[in-house]
Amino acid sequence: MSLVEIKDLKVHYPIRTGFWNRITDSVRAVDGITFNIEAGETYGLVGESGSGKSTTGKSVVGLEKVTSGSIMYKGVDITSKANRNKLDYNQDVQMIFQDSLSSLNPRKRIEDIIAEPLRNFEHLSKDDEKLRVLQLLDIVGLDADALYKYPHQFSGGQRQRIGVARAVATNPKLIIADEPVSALDLSVQAQVLNFMKKIQREFGISYLFISHDLGVVRHMCNNIAIMNRGRLVEIGTREDIYNHPLHIYTKRLLAAIPETNVNQRAAHRASRLAVEKIYQEQQSKYYDDKGEAFPLIQVSPTHSVALPENIAKQLASQEGEVQA
Amino acid sequence: MAENFEQHSDVSAADLARLTQEAQAEATPSTAKIIWSEFKADKPAMAALFIIVGFILFVMIGALFINTPKMMETNIMGYFNQPFTPEYWLGADSGGRSVAKQLIVGSRNSIGIAIGLTLISSTFGICWGLISGYFNGYIDWGMQRVYDFMMMLPMTMMIIVLVTIIPHYNSVTLTLIFSIFYWEGTSRLIRSRTLAESEKDYVAASRTSGTSHWKIIFREIMPNISSLIIVDCTLSFAENIGVETGLSYLGFGLPSQTPSLGTMIANANDPNNITQYWWTWLPAALEIIILCLSISYVGQVLRRAADASQRQGAAD
Repeated sequence: MSLVEIKDLKVHYPIRTGFWNRITDSVRAVDGITFNIEAGETYGLVGESGSGKSTTGKSVVGLEKVTSGSIMYKGVDITSKANRNKLDYNQDVQMIFQDSLSSLNPRKRIEDIIAEPLRNFEHLSKDDEKLRVLQLLDIVGLDADALYKYPHQFSGGQRQRIGVARAVATNPKLIIADEPVSALDLSVQAQVLNFMKKIQREFGISYLFISHDLGVVRHMCNNIAIMNRGRLVEIGTREDIYNHPLHIYTKRLLAAIPETNVNQRAAHRASRLAVEKIYQEQQSKYYDDKGEAFPLIQVSPTHSVALPENIAKQLASQEGEVQA
Repeated sequence: MAENFEQHSDVSAADLARLTQEAQAEATPSTAKIIWSEFKADKPAMAALFIIVGFILFVMIGALFINTPKMMETNIMGYFNQPFTPEYWLGADSGGRSVAKQLIVGSRNSIGIAIGLTLISSTFGICWGLISGYFNGYIDWGMQRVYDFMMMLPMTMMIIVLVTIIPHYNSVTLTLIFSIFYWEGTSRLIRSRTLAESEKDYVAASRTSGTSHWKIIFREIMPNISSLIIVDCTLSFAENIGVETGLSYLGFGLPSQTPSLGTMIANANDPNNITQYWWTWLPAALEIIILCLSISYVGQVLRRAADASQRQGAAD
């Protein structure tokens, strides 16, 4: 059984208009997505801004009110608040935020920030708690000096590591990492990602890794889901997504990864333009009449794509993939 | 679970005392120290602080030694006595009552009302604004309609009516009556900042850390809008001195046998007093100006201390 099973999750926001402020339409931020997160793995959720990936992450951690669908954890649907409270759900599922500065309360000292989940879930004695905080700081590579300082006294990378320390404080089973490194520069990104990987190895944590940076996702994730306009357009292993992308949206994302080899600049540009051309001309093939993605079709045991069955089969055979 | 952390970290219980000490050496100074260094950097504010504290202590203690009913007795011999005489330091009013003594007791009454009113109305307004802004949705809607209703009531008229209806009122009941109306501005101000503040990630982080709503409101959000709260409290304290004064001036504040800054300034109603007997109203007016100025100086320092980017004091 998977650690977390997300089934047909929908998060819609009402649009109210007119004199009576009635609900006339809704923004479908997340529109029926289904995937499972296995214990100990890193699951990548990739998509452009506004595709609903952060909303998905917030629903899983319980910050967003879910419109319909279910999120099963230990056989309980945690979309209801009562169930979350009964399980002490957030002891097992924590979150790392994108903006490290705003996610740390500027008026609290680091000790209090990291100890916050401990105080709520574990009720340790004062010394044990302080010891745990010091150990956590040590694990993320910060000195004990940090204990009584405030968040603004640290650099971006250090702050994000404090965020990581807070997230692992209660020894959770799953951490939602919502673009944890996209606000950091490249060398610091690597540093924070390596800490996250190290912690994963040591504590056996699963990550739901939300990002728009495919380079980072490739480094971190075993399984990847590509999200577009509130729906999943492709699910597969790292191998499936990077070597055999089927959906045009995935191909566009891959084509958008910057190429550092200047000798192949022209070739890279040509391939990018080719993908863009297919996208412009063949919208109707990849999206339905309303411009939404199709339901997912399985093309191999690990690989699914949101396309009509005949097109999916045809593309899959072109890519030379083993049929399901 | 604890073993799990122990395995992966070199820090053990043996290091606790040493590391705590190291951390304390590097610790950021406490809020009280920061506020004090801010005061030291701003001499006028320091002077203002001493004026306020000294003056409040002086009138609170001094008023204990004055027999108010006896002081308020009319003494025909002292009719508009000149100031700076041994018996009447600041002269006397038309009833031959000592202006200096009235000033001490009146200040105690007016400042007491202002402090009480600020405490009650700001506490209530801050709580109302925080809760309304944090919970949002239907709760916010309902609480804001109550606010709108209160705003709609004609405040001064209501106070005058209430003062007339209540038979035996004194400074305590007057403070309570004022408090019914003076929380509104504060609550709206606090709500607007709370709305913005509760969208921030640290609130979401606290929620995923299992912190309760009340703790988030009063331990997470409130400290973060403390600079706004401080500024609002100091301003409303200065304003609240004026509230009682204004109403007493109109004749609907404290009863005439209870001196206050307002009743003293009301002496200026008479053109004769304004031109000839200036000592009957000028000391009270000057006192209000000096107090309000001093309060706003102190408020500025507190605001700077609450906001790291505005500090002028020494770094540590």
